[in-house]
Amino acid sequence: MPSIKPLSDLLINQIAAGEVVERPASVLKEVLENALDAGSRAIEVQLEQGGVRRIRVVDDGCGIDRNDLPLALARHATSKIATLDDLERVGTMGFRGEALAAIAAVARTRITSRANGEPHAWSIEGSDLSLSPAALNCGTVVDVAELYFNTPARRKFLKTEATEFAHCDEVFRRVALARPDIGLQLSHNGRVIHRLPPADPQARTGALMGDDFLAQARPVDADAGALRLSGLVSLPAYSRASRDAQYFFVNGRFVRDKLLTHAVRQAYQDILHGNRHPAYVLFLELDPAGVDVNVHPAKIEVRFREARAIHQFVFHAVSRILAASGAASASEPLSSSIPNHAQGTQTSVDLPPSPPPTRYQAPLRSYGPGPQAMESANHRYFDFVAGAAAPGNAMQGTSNQSGAPAADVPTDGAPLGYALAQLHGVYILAQNRSGLVLVDMHAAHERILYEKLKAVVDGRPSIQRLLIPAVLRLDARSMAVAEECTEVLVGMGFEVAPVGPHELSVRSVPTLLANAPIADLVRQLLDELGEVPASEVITARRNELLATMACHGAVRANRSLSIPEMNALLRDMEATERADQCNHGRPTWTQLSMSELDRFFMRGK
Amino acid sequence: MHLLTTTRDTLLAPLQSVAGIVEKRHTLPILSNVLIEKQGERLTMLATDIEIQVRTISTGDLGGEDASITVAAKKLHDILRALPDTAEITVNIDDKRMTVKAGKSRFALQTLPAADYPTMNLPEGEGTRFSISQKLFKRQLAQVAYAMAQQDIRYYLNGLLLIAEGDQLRMVATDGHRLAYAANPLEAAITRTEVILPRKTVMELNRQLADTDDTLEVTLAGNQAVFRFGSIELVTKLIDGKFPDYERVIPQHHPKMLAFDRVQLLSCLNRVAILTNDKFRGVRMVLEDGRLRIVSTNNEQEEAQEEIEIDYQGDALDIGFNVTYLLDVLNNIGTESVEWRFNDGNSSALITLPGNDTFKYVVMPMRI
Repeated sequence: MPSIKPLSDLLINQIAAGEVVERPASVLKEVLENALDAGSRAIEVQLEQGGVRRIRVVDDGCGIDRNDLPLALARHATSKIATLDDLERVGTMGFRGEALAAIAAVARTRITSRANGEPHAWSIEGSDLSLSPAALNCGTVVDVAELYFNTPARRKFLKTEATEFAHCDEVFRRVALARPDIGLQLSHNGRVIHRLPPADPQARTGALMGDDFLAQARPVDADAGALRLSGLVSLPAYSRASRDAQYFFVNGRFVRDKLLTHAVRQAYQDILHGNRHPAYVLFLELDPAGVDVNVHPAKIEVRFREARAIHQFVFHAVSRILAASGAASASEPLSSSIPNHAQGTQTSVDLPPSPPPTRYQAPLRSYGPGPQAMESANHRYFDFVAGAAAPGNAMQGTSNQSGAPAADVPTDGAPLGYALAQLHGVYILAQNRSGLVLVDMHAAHERILYEKLKAVVDGRPSIQRLLIPAVLRLDARSMAVAEECTEVLVGMGFEVAPVGPHELSVRSVPTLLANAPIADLVRQLLDELGEVPASEVITARRNELLATMACHGAVRANRSLSIPEMNALLRDMEATERADQCNHGRPTWTQLSMSELDRFFMRGK
Repeated sequence: MHLLTTTRDTLLAPLQSVAGIVEKRHTLPILSNVLIEKQGERLTMLATDIEIQVRTISTGDLGGEDASITVAAKKLHDILRALPDTAEITVNIDDKRMTVKAGKSRFALQTLPAADYPTMNLPEGEGTRFSISQKLFKRQLAQVAYAMAQQDIRYYLNGLLLIAEGDQLRMVATDGHRLAYAANPLEAAITRTEVILPRKTVMELNRQLADTDDTLEVTLAGNQAVFRFGSIELVTKLIDGKFPDYERVIPQHHPKMLAFDRVQLLSCLNRVAILTNDKFRGVRMVLEDGRLRIVSTNNEQEEAQEEIEIDYQGDALDIGFNVTYLLDVLNNIGTESVEWRFNDGNSSALITLPGNDTFKYVVMPMRI
């Protein structure tokens, strides 16, 4: 029988490294976070061979005292927390005190640091903890070379240089997005990849996510008590095939959290096609005591004390922004080229690419008046460009009935303009200030009806009581969820009661779903409720039905519409939430600006 | 080979009786066919969808040789129906094709061999037998059939519970929201037998039974039921399942009782239904001293209200129902008046016929 022996320190660290140091990117993450926690203002990252050969992080932070240097490499030694209270309110990125020890166990590590006020820097070698004097201006240099030199098994699992570098780059981006106030530089094999001077959050986001994201994104800024959500979310038109452009930060820490992802996803429900993914960069700030980051060694998952409240907050904040339909503020992205026409000049339209909207810097302070604020911004904009244009014509849709020539169609006032004609019984052509508006009338009408139906159905659901209760066989976990969430279920119209250790009886169902397969529905519902505290199963199911009703009720192609009818539709679109997309996430309208048309006809060249 | 020569209706009438159960889409091509058997004066037609089989036997002067063949039921039916009713039809079979001739019309149809046709074996053993007049049985079916579920995953609800016991024949159907029960006397003493007839069988019986006093013979044996009436023999498989205990959900002691003229209540509900929400179909019944108000509103906030004077003194009650469930029952019971019993806004309502307990309808309220 093998006897029980305590493991050696090196082995313990190597085991820990298995969790913490998964690949070069995880080393970079730990070292970068240390640099941030040291209060650095500028951080430089140098990688060689995707970080496998060398990761070197140079910061200008507070440095490490000579006497602390050996401790820095010891397991469970940290300057970041000292008591359990600290742990519960942790505000630093790291706190476990095991990263450097783990890294030193699997790579040749050298730390050079000069604490404030020291006459010169000291350097420590990871292998033998030998100290030697060194030269350094200020801050700390962590040099991690030859990762996994002593664990060849692990080395075999490394991917190609390009892949490992891509992972490091991703880690770098996350830090850079989270801390725009810090200057950052990343170079790979001696070549500079990113050079990011300190900037405002929007400029930083633009530099990392690209300007087209910025142009298609809307700022979020909402707070409720100690909660604050800010950042940028993409409009549905800018969707991605994968989840790669989704960044969520909780108190500055990048997380990939089911609850938060779900909340955002739910906000995009029925404006984004099912297999498309939104892009966003969102920052959630809350009292550190309200979130437990000590869930996972890499801290990628977190736990919230008040999960449901957070879910609701995030969902509402994002959906508020998305609901503000672009139809109510049409032509926004095209602003740069419009003034030329408003002022009647037809000179060059070769303007430099428009600077992205700058509202992120002066965010809307609360999410309450979101749409109104957008509208008033829009008014201001129109005031600005009005110039020579006629004063606001309070025209009703009917005044243009008898096929008046297009020249008489007023162009101001309504964001989506006024109808000119119908194209092949499918599209509405309308004229607004910036040019031509094309509307898919079926898609637009569908969305309008759908939103109306939703408004009717929201609130307390109508329920049908069951004469013969549906009895479900469930596993213990689902039974527990059902008992915990009884109130949520009742709120959705399902009255449930356990009738045995593994049997749940359903005594009422929402009327709208009275003929749906109850058992399946409740099972799905419980599965989802077990994961996150809110479920979209029922809303999604209900919305599906409403969408079908809306689709059947909407005007079909080849139905000819009169000008007043078309104008009425345009006005409805402006007043409807999420009118930019039909229920399936397709766009309902598009704009062809005068400048685009001029460019096409090479006018004014 | 000359199969037969006869008038159109001699062929069309039995074909119409059997063709109703032939499904439009099949993975098994022969199931869209009808089996035609000719033996001397006797003409047998048979169709099946594997679950149900309908057979008719007719006699007449047919001529020609004896043979069995299968041919597309729907096409033959459409051809015969489109021919003038005086037409004399000649049917020949040559080299796997069936030729139908009438005057100057000529149709050649593909056939499949009769030996391949899947026919159901009749149940073995005696089983339970009883007879009842077609008219009574049909009326009883109509009283409950509308309450059957459609495509519910609780498959046993997609059918009708038939119970023969002592001198009574009982039928029950429910979709989980409402339940209908009807009883008829039988001229026999039978040991309790209960079966669940599939929805399609119920519909087919309802279609084929005549409003006459001619007898219907029913045999329940094994997992089959056989119905013989007129020249038709319908064999059906049964739904194998446990029907919910209907006696438990029929309330016994509801204190509030109202009597209505059926037609008056029906017309009130029909009018109020116009302004209900399309999907919910909810109406509120507000019961006060001496009157019942029936109210509905729709998505556009339009409102309908009907008032019926009633003989009622007691607690007020406000209860919601799916109006479809109420219209269903009122449309399908052919009596002059109905009685309605309530307890409170959350429990079921019971509808019965005055003076007898042969019909009961239980419906659950909805919260609007």
